[in-house]
Amino acid sequence: MTTIDPAAVFRQEAAELFEVLEAALLDLGQNPDDRELVDSAFRALHTIKGSGAMFGFDKVASFTHEFETAFERVRKGEIKPTQDLVSVALAAKDYIRALIETPDETDTIIGDAILADLSRFVSPAEAVEAAVSSPVSSPASTPMSERRQVGWHLRFEFDAQILRNGSNPLDLLDDLSKLGSCFATPLTDGIPFLDELVPEDCYLKWDVSLHSDCDKAAIDDVFMFVVDEMQLVLEPLFEGEAPQPVPMLDLPEVSIVPPEPPQVAEPTTPAPQPAAAAAPAVERRSGEPRRADDRGIATVRVQAERLDELMDRVGELVIAQARLSQLAASGNDISIKLIAEEIERLASSLRDTTMGARMVPIGSLFGRFRRLVHDLSRDLSKPVEFVTSGEDTELDKTMIECLADPLVHLIRNAIDHGIEPPAARAAAGKPEQGRIELAAVHAGAQVLVTVKDNGGGLNTARIRAKAEEQGLIAPGASATDQEIHQFLFHPGFSTAQTISALSGRGVGMDVVKRTIENMRGSIDLSTVTGESTTITLRLPLTLAIIEGLLIRVGSGRYIIPLSAVEECVELTAEDERSRSRNFLNVRGNLVPFLRLRDVFDADGEPDQHQKTIIISTGETRVGLVADQIIGNHQTVIKSLSKLHSNVTIFSGATILGDGTAALILDVVQLVALAQAQAEKQMSEAA
Amino acid sequence: MTLEPTEAGGALRLPSDCSISSIRSIHESIQEALGRLGALEIDCSEVNRADLTSIQLLLSTAKTGAAQGRPVVLTELSEVLRNTIERAGFTDGAMIDQHFPQKKGGSQWPRS
Repeated sequence: MTTIDPAAVFRQEAAELFEVLEAALLDLGQNPDDRELVDSAFRALHTIKGSGAMFGFDKVASFTHEFETAFERVRKGEIKPTQDLVSVALAAKDYIRALIETPDETDTIIGDAILADLSRFVSPAEAVEAAVSSPVSSPASTPMSERRQVGWHLRFEFDAQILRNGSNPLDLLDDLSKLGSCFATPLTDGIPFLDELVPEDCYLKWDVSLHSDCDKAAIDDVFMFVVDEMQLVLEPLFEGEAPQPVPMLDLPEVSIVPPEPPQVAEPTTPAPQPAAAAAPAVERRSGEPRRADDRGIATVRVQAERLDELMDRVGELVIAQARLSQLAASGNDISIKLIAEEIERLASSLRDTTMGARMVPIGSLFGRFRRLVHDLSRDLSKPVEFVTSGEDTELDKTMIECLADPLVHLIRNAIDHGIEPPAARAAAGKPEQGRIELAAVHAGAQVLVTVKDNGGGLNTARIRAKAEEQGLIAPGASATDQEIHQFLFHPGFSTAQTISALSGRGVGMDVVKRTIENMRGSIDLSTVTGESTTITLRLPLTLAIIEGLLIRVGSGRYIIPLSAVEECVELTAEDERSRSRNFLNVRGNLVPFLRLRDVFDADGEPDQHQKTIIISTGETRVGLVADQIIGNHQTVIKSLSKLHSNVTIFSGATILGDGTAALILDVVQLVALAQAQAEKQMSEAA
Repeated sequence: MTLEPTEAGGALRLPSDCSISSIRSIHESIQEALGRLGALEIDCSEVNRADLTSIQLLLSTAKTGAAQGRPVVLTELSEVLRNTIERAGFTDGAMIDQHFPQKKGGSQWPRS
């Protein structure tokens, strides 16, 4: 039996709520008047608090409650959320996260300091004029104009499920009592006998007389987070009346009379409901968008490991299906062939469905960087606009996880090195606020993720000087700008004049490149001096199963990822003769090529008609010469063991239909190898 | 939770955590105890966590006991439980006596 740790469930839900909270807070910094953003932030906070208390995270519940209380004036519209206030609120969010994830390592002093900061920002002295909700409607405007309204009469009941969602009606009663003299009478008629009781359901209802000069909006605020899960009857309470609570049906002999409210001048007598009182407002906003806790109806939460397991199983199925197809093809049994085809079709469909289930919108990753940009922008005093697009672009979940760190590096670099200080931008005739664009788009079997800044562009001369200083290029040697820019990805390479906490140590870009290449991706870099720098990450859609081109070199078989293949051409006799040059003429363009027989030290005689597969990474094209092109192959990628970690030209292995293994070529490494070989030949020729 | 025999029937001691996260097992224990015993005393002295589900369970227990002619009394209500009952609106003495019958002779609540 599978056991689910409730605390783990809470942590997972909280992680999603933190994303919502952070997004709302960051948006609030840009749109301080957007009430929906305030409400969204509060809903997330409230759910974290309620769930935290339910799952035993008492410190989380306690701090979140304090946070809510301190932020209350923002919710009421009495003060505007400034950037400073948003920063403190974000710090509070981080603290709550730490309380959940690493409670033993989280010092309450930090929480106290954050609350102190929050209180300072929201203290009355800091308050700015803002729209204050209108006071309660004057008695003159009501049919009961001759009578003075002294408060409100409320009757409310909740959906049975509300306690499971972490909401606590007792907190709401506490909140009501803060608005004035509150006389709550619990109505117990809904309490069932023990054998019918579902202990987590809510059965109690309440009848409340609230003596207060608060307006209706204040009461709405109390129920803001549960308004979709309750029925509320709200009526004005007039002087001299104290509504009789609904009698308890199961205990008729007990007389329940609420205590006399001190403010009411005349003694209270059981009185009928005032006939002319304002019509009760039954509030249930069923038409509003469903909240985060309702989304489970449309989706099912699945542990990531299970998806990995499923993918592994599908991979094994694809391999077994390939063997079956091969066996069927070698025989003459028509019925076996039909079954093999049917299973091939089903396996293909299952593979696509499984891969689809692993796809995650990249927007879930992009959201994290808004906070990064916000904090860096503040720390470096560089106002930066952060624009994202293509959030719906889907990528395998493993890729999303692997992409986070590289993108952090790239965005940090863009703000730290790319975007100029405001004064420099103004002097260059550019707006003081810099701009960073993070975009994702599908391009064939790849996803392109670009990070573009509108800063000063790369300083090619300085990069070259640094490269010469480090001995990476001979002084005066010819190199294109693009080649010089590639030095940025060299380990330990940095042109930063000073080392900051953010960048300048030369660690990062090489790690970025290695990470992307490990994902069988590549990086392009382009820049326009004085205007912009764009870094494009080219990534495969998935890491688990790829379309491959199966080739033979000698007696060995190898897979080339089909996404890297541009075309296949025959090696001409002329190309064959120029063994020392290793360049192909492809429609007038010289393309360097590698003889894979030489690279793999293949045995036996080469085939008479050798084939060349043209592959590319970004703008660079290279030919790979093989003995035979066998055809397309569904390639289930298996990692190489640690023993083979130093083998760079293979990125993995796969199992073919006949049960033998085939190595998967690492396109990036082969392109680099071919380029190095070409440069060597050119320098020898010179 | 422990169920101990008393002169009239048995006494059940509620655990420290009577909140929603534990309420299901407490519900089962009370049902079982009420089914076996003539009268039931529920010792509430160790309750350190309580919420609306605790209140509702006690209300249902009293209602069920009364309907079946099996008296249910509460003993030694902890401060936490008392506070939770009050927060739910049970502040009137008669109301408390009706819904949360307590053993006579012990420390009674409400005190006033």
